Amino acid sequence: MRQVLWTLATLAGLAVLGAAAVIGFGLYNTSARGAHLPGIGWALHTTFKQSVRLRAPATEEVPADLRHPDRAALGALHYQNACAFCHGFPDAARPATAMAMNPRPPHVTEAVADWDARHMGWIVQEGVKMSGMPHWPAEGREDEVWSVVSYLMAIKEGTELPPRPASATCTACHGEDGDTTNAYIPRLDLLTPDQIAQALRHYRSGARESGIMAAVARDLEDAEIARAARAFGRSDPAPAPIPDPEAPAALLATRGTGDVPACTACHGPERDAEAPIAPVITGQNEGYLRAQLRLWRDGARGGGVRAELMRKAAQDLTDAEIDNLAAFFAGLAPAEP
Amino acid sequence: MQNIWLSDGMGQGRRQHNWKSHAALTGILLLAGCGSGRQSVLNPAGDDALMLFDLARVMFIGALILWLLVAALFIYVTRIAPREFSRCSAERLIVGGGVIFPVLLLGALLIYSLPLMSSQREADDGLEVQITAEQWWWRVNYVLPNGDTITSANELRLPVGARTGLRLNAHRVIHSFWVPALGGKTDMIPGRETFMSLKPETPGIYRGQCAEFCGASHALMAFEVVAMEPEAFAAWLAAEAADAVPPQTPLARKGAGVFAREGCGGCHTVRGTDAQGQVGPDLTHVGSRVSLGAGILPDGVEDFANWIAHTEDLKPEVAMPTYDYLSDGDLTALATYLEGLE
Repeated sequence: MRQVLWTLATLAGLAVLGAAAVIGFGLYNTSARGAHLPGIGWALHTTFKQSVRLRAPATEEVPADLRHPDRAALGALHYQNACAFCHGFPDAARPATAMAMNPRPPHVTEAVADWDARHMGWIVQEGVKMSGMPHWPAEGREDEVWSVVSYLMAIKEGTELPPRPASATCTACHGEDGDTTNAYIPRLDLLTPDQIAQALRHYRSGARESGIMAAVARDLEDAEIARAARAFGRSDPAPAPIPDPEAPAALLATRGTGDVPACTACHGPERDAEAPIAPVITGQNEGYLRAQLRLWRDGARGGGVRAELMRKAAQDLTDAEIDNLAAFFAGLAPAEP
Repeated sequence: MQNIWLSDGMGQGRRQHNWKSHAALTGILLLAGCGSGRQSVLNPAGDDALMLFDLARVMFIGALILWLLVAALFIYVTRIAPREFSRCSAERLIVGGGVIFPVLLLGALLIYSLPLMSSQREADDGLEVQITAEQWWWRVNYVLPNGDTITSANELRLPVGARTGLRLNAHRVIHSFWVPALGGKTDMIPGRETFMSLKPETPGIYRGQCAEFCGASHALMAFEVVAMEPEAFAAWLAAEAADAVPPQTPLARKGAGVFAREGCGGCHTVRGTDAQGQVGPDLTHVGSRVSLGAGILPDGVEDFANWIAHTEDLKPEVAMPTYDYLSDGDLTALATYLEGLE
């Protein structure tokens, strides 16, 4: 017995020494050229697949509006910015550089084949260790992740894909004049230059979390922010009037409840104050309003000095109230020019 | 109430230092005697509090006499005239002193005290006040006999000599309504209305306090009760029913602008203006109240400014945000406007 133990201990010691030698003397070839040793590739890939299956969220956590065409369009726009370099487009091959990676990132049509929406959501949110696949670069923005998944599901299910934009500038998402009709992207033509500049600074610093905006705002110079703010902002946007003030959603917006302040006290319309402290939201796009209200409610939304006001204002909103308010404000005419 | 004070003191005494408990009890009595007595059961200013005070006095004096008797008997049989009792007289003493006497005494006290309970819930003389406990303040609605409702907050005004009914509700968690100088306490329970009535007799300003732990700022959930002569009360109620007075000075007008700009009306109502929010206290006549922040600050211009700029420091976890980013000029203007809402 004693002898067996000594033998095992000696063998273990030799194995540790051997491993130390391989690492210390650089014996393992980390070149991306060669294939893995037999069995290693299988082991790594199976580990990955099983890990995703174990951890992916339940089907009920996939948002109901996953297949909204605007959502897929927003996903496609970000995909072009952040994902296409490695995974290509359904109608375009991967760049040669990406093809030289090891492991080689799968082409998007191949990547979506194995997974359901909930799995894709987990992979896009969490990334894959040792593969080059990054995790979502913002905290608390599962809504953005699902927009990318929306696009991936459109690819998988062969739905008509949104047109691929020619460029990845502000206008590609927000529209030529900042007046996009995509429900999930904010209109910029309702905002003042100051509000746009502040939002960009917050996206740049990370005070406002967004994987999509971080991808374009992280490297902006102050001068570029000022230029964009001037280009899209409007000096004095006036919120549109409320046509039917007695409708339930209108009452919630203008009077609030015992738990929820009146939205219009800060956002208008019919604000009796000299200077706006909060952006105009009449005519703002619905999916964007809904996502932002949820972020405020869940405490995941950063902002300026008055962010605490909005966080506390939204903290008791129910999902139904958020849906109603987003639909109500989106349904009002946009701000008067 | 009264008996809770007493039993606390005695319970400690039984545990260790009897003399300390007596000292503490005397201390409490002295403190209550020399303080303003605005929040003391020992300074009854209403029918109900007076009755409870009498009840406590009867109980306390009764307990004292009983204790003296037992102590005297004990000293008599052990020190003054120690002797052997026959089995018969010992049993008579035990049954008589240990069973019959307590049954008679406790029965008498029960017969005296039980009927007192119902008077705490006597119907009102016409005025009813609905009080809803929030975290951590009080919604107060005066309901007139004709059904009209007058909304106020964090202060209760009552006419002396008349019985006012209080319909008590709570919004999220259990609270308890207690004005020691005027009456007993009644729990306020979400989803279940409770009722009590008060009949103040001595005009004055008393202090009420939430008496059931209700979250981080439970200790800071107080209110003032102003007991007024009936004519003064009627005049006050008429003024309270009116819309807010428009700001009179340039500074107050600037403050009204700050109030509107910062969206204060999203949570607060100032009747007669666009401010119609329902989350926080009604501010229509906030300048005429005795205190601010649910009984934690006086009601001066500096206090308003202090409250608005340090809200969450003064009342942890309160729903109102801290407006610490306002400039001193804006803050003073806003405080002046609010203080002027009389």
